[in-house]
Amino acid sequence: MNSFVYLLDTVVTGNSADYVPIGIQIIFAAGFVATVMIATHLLGPKRKTAEKLENFASGIESHGNARQPLAIKYFLVAILFVLFDVEVIFFYPYAVNFKSLGWYGFIEVLLFVCFFLTGFIYIIKKGALKWED
Amino acid sequence: MNAIIFSAGWGIIMMFCSFLVKNQSSYRHIAAVGLLVLLAANIFDTYGVDFFHIDSGKMLAYTRFGFVFNSIAIASTLIYVLLTGRDIERLGRYTAEFFTLVFFVLCGVCLLSAYNNLLMLFLGIEILTIPLYILTGSDKRNLKSNEAALKYFLMGSFSTGLMLMGIALMYGGTGTFLLESSRLQSNLYHGISFLEIVGLLFLLASMCFKVSAAPFHFWTPDVYDGAPSVVTSFMATIVKVAGFIAFLKLCTVRMSVTSTAIDWKLIFSIIIILTLLFGNITAIFQQSVKRMLAYSSISQAGFMLFALFSMNEYASKGLLMYSVAYCLATIGLFAVLVKMKDVTFEGYNGLAKTQPVLAATNAIFLFSLAGIPLTAGFLAKYYMLASIIKTGTYTWVVVAGVLFAAISVYYYFRVIQAMYFKNGEPQMESFGRSFKLGLVVLAAIIIIVGAFPQALFNWLYF
Amino acid sequence: MPIQYYIILAAALFCIGVTGVLIRRNAIIIFMCVELMLNSVNLLLVAFSKMHYAISSANNKGTAAITTGTDAQLFVFFIMVVAAAEVSVGLAIIVMMYRNVHSTDVNFLNRLKN
Repeated sequence: MNSFVYLLDTVVTGNSADYVPIGIQIIFAAGFVATVMIATHLLGPKRKTAEKLENFASGIESHGNARQPLAIKYFLVAILFVLFDVEVIFFYPYAVNFKSLGWYGFIEVLLFVCFFLTGFIYIIKKGALKWED
Repeated sequence: MNAIIFSAGWGIIMMFCSFLVKNQSSYRHIAAVGLLVLLAANIFDTYGVDFFHIDSGKMLAYTRFGFVFNSIAIASTLIYVLLTGRDIERLGRYTAEFFTLVFFVLCGVCLLSAYNNLLMLFLGIEILTIPLYILTGSDKRNLKSNEAALKYFLMGSFSTGLMLMGIALMYGGTGTFLLESSRLQSNLYHGISFLEIVGLLFLLASMCFKVSAAPFHFWTPDVYDGAPSVVTSFMATIVKVAGFIAFLKLCTVRMSVTSTAIDWKLIFSIIIILTLLFGNITAIFQQSVKRMLAYSSISQAGFMLFALFSMNEYASKGLLMYSVAYCLATIGLFAVLVKMKDVTFEGYNGLAKTQPVLAATNAIFLFSLAGIPLTAGFLAKYYMLASIIKTGTYTWVVVAGVLFAAISVYYYFRVIQAMYFKNGEPQMESFGRSFKLGLVVLAAIIIIVGAFPQALFNWLYF
Repeated sequence: MPIQYYIILAAALFCIGVTGVLIRRNAIIIFMCVELMLNSVNLLLVAFSKMHYAISSANNKGTAAITTGTDAQLFVFFIMVVAAAEVSVGLAIIVMMYRNVHSTDVNFLNRLKN
């Protein structure tokens, strides 16, 4: 592939001046973060009490170590979520071609959803989503 | 198409059986019925009766070779389920799920024997291996099984990454995922691009991972040893041979096109010699029969690689023969192995005195693996060696192959020696008369195929 | 941007992934590195898809079939879905391992060496 193939339809001049806006943005972003952090340190009053140093957890008092073992059902639900979440990806190409595929495409997608549903019925029947023991 | 849809469908049926059917021992019968249906559907398909007319858009291409291989794989699985069904039940509460995963693996096998598009190759390999990760770890409380599963999973997903990189680069070089490339007609992509060669090398590495050819074989002994014996039996036979079928197709189509740019024969001859060397030399020093069989599966993979080296008619016939000889013999050996309490060589001491039928059939299986005449294993090795002689180059590979086959006789015969010439009281699980009958039938098939190979090959044409 | 940039970026990501798999000892991190490898392939496939479209339209005087190169983008969907399936199985295996040995360090994987 000797010839350069351009993927984006912008006019490429090869001029480094093109990158100036990006540079400005980076400088601005970094500068903003630095300024705010320094300003809060300088301006804010410092009153340290034991209660204020506690981790904030939506107003609920935290207790125990965060690294204690969790019940396995959390993992199970998380793993199942990953599976069912990503399968939805196949709806994107269908959505793009919704009109042109017509009823044929609709039936195909229905079939796909049915397969999904069999898996879902299986995990419900197996009690994978049961929270109370 | 029949086999693909039926295997996936019956897998789902098995899945639902796990909560609809309460009786544990009936799962095995449902699975056996399913495999019979699958076999019948595939034979219908072989003779042109396709129940589903689905346009796969050139993604799948059916050949007689692929159908015959499907039938062999399904029939071997049927024999496997019949022989070791009771031992699968002892594995845990999830017998129905075990069979479900076996059906899904078969779906992957059927995809691999018919793929014509690199997407289908990828999906087939994944459908094949993901259930295997679960099966390997199916003995949940056993640390060895856990470890084997994790190792297999990490290695397997790594090699999947390599395979995908290869496919992406090949796509970059040729502009198509189709195996029988259309670029020969189009004048756009004439010539062989650098990207395609690099991509093929990536694919070669990952396929070597999958079929456990040296230098990518390191996971094999650990995984085969750690997995429950019933799983190893399935994994080392049907799955491995399916990998070779996919590999052969890749070689005959894509690699032969690029053979002007890179010397594939040299690469394959090096891989063959290394695989035979590692497999055979380390198998000699093993104390456990299970681990010995794991290493011997590497060395048998070396012989199956001969087909990829020569890529002619003898090679495809030989690979078919090899799949019969190797699958059946190894399934038989493992069926006896899972009944043994002690899987070291000492555990087999004196088996011929207490269980003469088991010892005799085991001996036939070992003869077949070692390639003694009158068994299917001999003809399989013969066809493999003949295929290289036909190509007329690299005859030193043939010499090395014969030499290593002679070495392999040593460790196979150690088992026979333990069974017949040593005294001991082998401890075994209980088994019925039908188990013995199954082993005798299996041994008979091996000898019949060995004596009349045309019975198998005629199927390719009529 | 020229296609070479995309190839170099994808190759760099892929190499980071491979290196991570080879040198890290934590099973979860190894797993993340594998995911990085897969995602670099996704990037490469999309770039090649656009490249083949560009080549095809350049060769046909600016009019390429609209489907040129879409097969690679579909491949990306399949890679994502298969990767998700692999994630679920892999995490299950890692959790199973963790419940037995209380560690995800792969150096614990030495029971099979004998």
